[in-house]
Amino acid sequence: MKLTTKEGMQSEIFVPVTPKPVFTELKKPLSECKVAFITAGGIHKKSQKPFNTSGDFSYRTIEFDTPSSELMVTHGGFDNSDINKDVNAMFPIDRLHELLKEGFIGSLPKETYTFMGGGGNVEKFRNETGPEIARKLKEQGVDVVLCTGGCGTCHRSATIVTRCCEEAGMSCCVIAALPPIARQQGAPRITAPHVPIGSNAGEPNNIPQQTAIVKESLEWVRDCPSFNATKVLPYEYRHNV
Amino acid sequence: MSITAETAKEHAKDPAVLCCRAEEGTVIQAANLEDPAIFDDLVDSGLLNLDGALTIEQVLGAKLTKTCDSLCPLTADVLEGIKEIEIPAPVKEEPKEEAPAIEELQAVVAPAVQNVPGGVLKIHIGEGKDIDIELPTGLGGGGAVVPALAPAKAEAAPTGIQEAEKPAEEKVVRSLTRKHYKITEVKRGPETKIEGTTLYIREGIEQECIDSQKLVLDLKIDVITPEQYHTYSETIMDVQPIACKEGESEVGSGVTRVLDGVIMMVTGTDANGVQIGEFGSSEGYLDENIMWSRPGAPEKGEIFIKTQVTVKEGTNMERPGPLAAHTATDHITQEIREVMKELDDSLVTDTETFDQVRRPGKKKVVIVKEIMGQGAMHDNLVLPVEPVGVLGAKPNVDLGNVPICVSPLEVLDGCIHALTCIGPASKEMSRHYWREPLVLEVLHDPDVDLCGVIFVGSPQINAEKFYVSKRVGMMVEMMDVDGAFVTTEGFGNNHIDFASHHEQIGMRGIPVVGMSFCAVQGALVVGNKYMTNMVDNNKSESGIENEVLACNTLCPEDAIRALAMLKNVMLGEDVAAAEKKWNPNVKSTNVELISNVTGKPVELVKNEQSLPMSQKRKEKYD
Repeated sequence: MKLTTKEGMQSEIFVPVTPKPVFTELKKPLSECKVAFITAGGIHKKSQKPFNTSGDFSYRTIEFDTPSSELMVTHGGFDNSDINKDVNAMFPIDRLHELLKEGFIGSLPKETYTFMGGGGNVEKFRNETGPEIARKLKEQGVDVVLCTGGCGTCHRSATIVTRCCEEAGMSCCVIAALPPIARQQGAPRITAPHVPIGSNAGEPNNIPQQTAIVKESLEWVRDCPSFNATKVLPYEYRHNV
Repeated sequence: MSITAETAKEHAKDPAVLCCRAEEGTVIQAANLEDPAIFDDLVDSGLLNLDGALTIEQVLGAKLTKTCDSLCPLTADVLEGIKEIEIPAPVKEEPKEEAPAIEELQAVVAPAVQNVPGGVLKIHIGEGKDIDIELPTGLGGGGAVVPALAPAKAEAAPTGIQEAEKPAEEKVVRSLTRKHYKITEVKRGPETKIEGTTLYIREGIEQECIDSQKLVLDLKIDVITPEQYHTYSETIMDVQPIACKEGESEVGSGVTRVLDGVIMMVTGTDANGVQIGEFGSSEGYLDENIMWSRPGAPEKGEIFIKTQVTVKEGTNMERPGPLAAHTATDHITQEIREVMKELDDSLVTDTETFDQVRRPGKKKVVIVKEIMGQGAMHDNLVLPVEPVGVLGAKPNVDLGNVPICVSPLEVLDGCIHALTCIGPASKEMSRHYWREPLVLEVLHDPDVDLCGVIFVGSPQINAEKFYVSKRVGMMVEMMDVDGAFVTTEGFGNNHIDFASHHEQIGMRGIPVVGMSFCAVQGALVVGNKYMTNMVDNNKSESGIENEVLACNTLCPEDAIRALAMLKNVMLGEDVAAAEKKWNPNVKSTNVELISNVTGKPVELVKNEQSLPMSQKRKEKYD
């Protein structure tokens, strides 16, 4: 028998390319900026409806004065143990209040928005959820948006929503545990601490590390020279699962 | 962004578009051109119209006769000095009887050169297409000049003539025999035993299972017969064959005993009732949530020994929780295995033998299977002592997710105990490996030489993904293969390493075919230029993770396409680029092309539409 070929076959899976650049330069000092933090990592208030872990494009509204003890995670894409220990590992709300007190940032908006980006419907996030979150943040006068993903498809959803915010005129940065996804999906700016998915904003209960990651990501929003540039942050945390 | 000369070369046949404004008189260079990679999006959004655009190779060196703005496609009316691109002259084909001996050859051969009287150099390239070329040597019958034809693929193969003289012999490296024992009834009784075709499970074994694991708070056993398929169940974490090794045999060789007509099924929640599942879960009526007969799923008619395990609250998404549920269930399976070891041969209803055959001289291929290793349920136990057991196995996460070589027979003999649950529809259950379609398809194809299977874990940390992927590259390089498959279960972050495996293999000049569920919901999050030959494992109607057990896993129809695609690439036959969005017709066309050549229809499996509609599917998906 002879090794034969079958003419005319076609590859069945599309391989993505980076979409067109979006970039809004930050024009005021961080200490005067209103800073929002969004996340695709499935964080919500314990009193709210949990996300559907197999894919969900809805979002939850979190008032910035919500105590971190009232927040929890519903996300299927990674080991939840770090967030169960400390929600700031994904959504560093306590660190933001400290930075505000310190005067590092100017203010926080009244509320922010969280979603579960795992398995996320790209079209819905790009055309509905993303623009809606961007509009609501913009209406509150937000200047800077930081965002964490969670799992792989979360990073995609996180990047899509972040791009919507950038397009709406805010300066944004994705804090990525999986920087190749954020880069390929076209995040405006990326910081990359050496962390596992599930603790994208730093080791649970390691306040200095979480603070440094948030601070340096904000500085990258200020200093990043051009679209899609990545800054590797010198913080490493290994999760012993 | 402008492109480099190298990119221009890669995209020589793609449309030429200015990246920035260029003045009249500019001589077009690569730096004036936009990257063709972004054109699709621009065309889609109406920002770019490529009608009449010349190709990059045509415009390089041409002079602009008019000042043009950025993103202006370069057409003939704004340029002078366009390069005429010659169409290669058709190659003259010789009548076939010229070189009959060589035409019989199966492998790609190095050019065989013959000097014949009349000053004609004859070159035969047996690249599967049998092209004979005649060129005047111009050297008066003296030394012939062989054109620098150096197909990289030919290097590994022996020259055609040698092979014709000495056909390579198949070699059986090792064999595995499965003895089947039929079970028609499962009952509870005072001791675990098998009598005829009835399996008894000891009453009260549940408490031992619970006591064996700190994190297991409760464990119930339900025996589900076909009449009871419409029973509610918690999410299905795994489906396992009940099998043991005979005598001194080890996993992957010798004799394995397996029960037919019955499987183990692990299900469970945490103490708060949260399903032990990650990307969705398959709880609900069993008959509405199982895609029957998938390699990893139960067959209709089988009896399920179903455990419902309750683990400590909050541990459902932490690694020890699911592991405890699996280990507690294996306490029951192990007791059945002990009984099976004592069974009399008179009860054997069927025997099948798998030979691991090596075929020297044939195209050598390797299968790289990416398995999950991100903690939580994303773990696998590798190489237990008993098929799909727990004892003796090493958790993939603890092994650092580094690539591990196994024989195809170890795969088929339960060397993976699958703790993963990336999403019920794309998870490869333990039973999947027991019936792995790609391994079976490639192992049984007389035209290729399957040298082995590499399992590589998908770590949680980005840097570690590349760490393990580079090891895959080195390992495949050392194997001197002609082609490789890369498969993965799940979708999302594991696609980073999946993509990187393609790169590591592809950059070494080795043809590679990738297999994954992607379609709509699992669309790739990253990619690279080596991912050009891909097979989508999707079966669902709308291209989604529909939470139906094993719906979108690798099936024989996918293995057939992947093998055909790899043969194409190894022999230099083009595989067309994928469409921008998932289109199920691409798969149908590929299937049709294959059956046209082989004359055999490719049987396609059913999808979730063949199942009774569940409330969940109705509300969430269909």
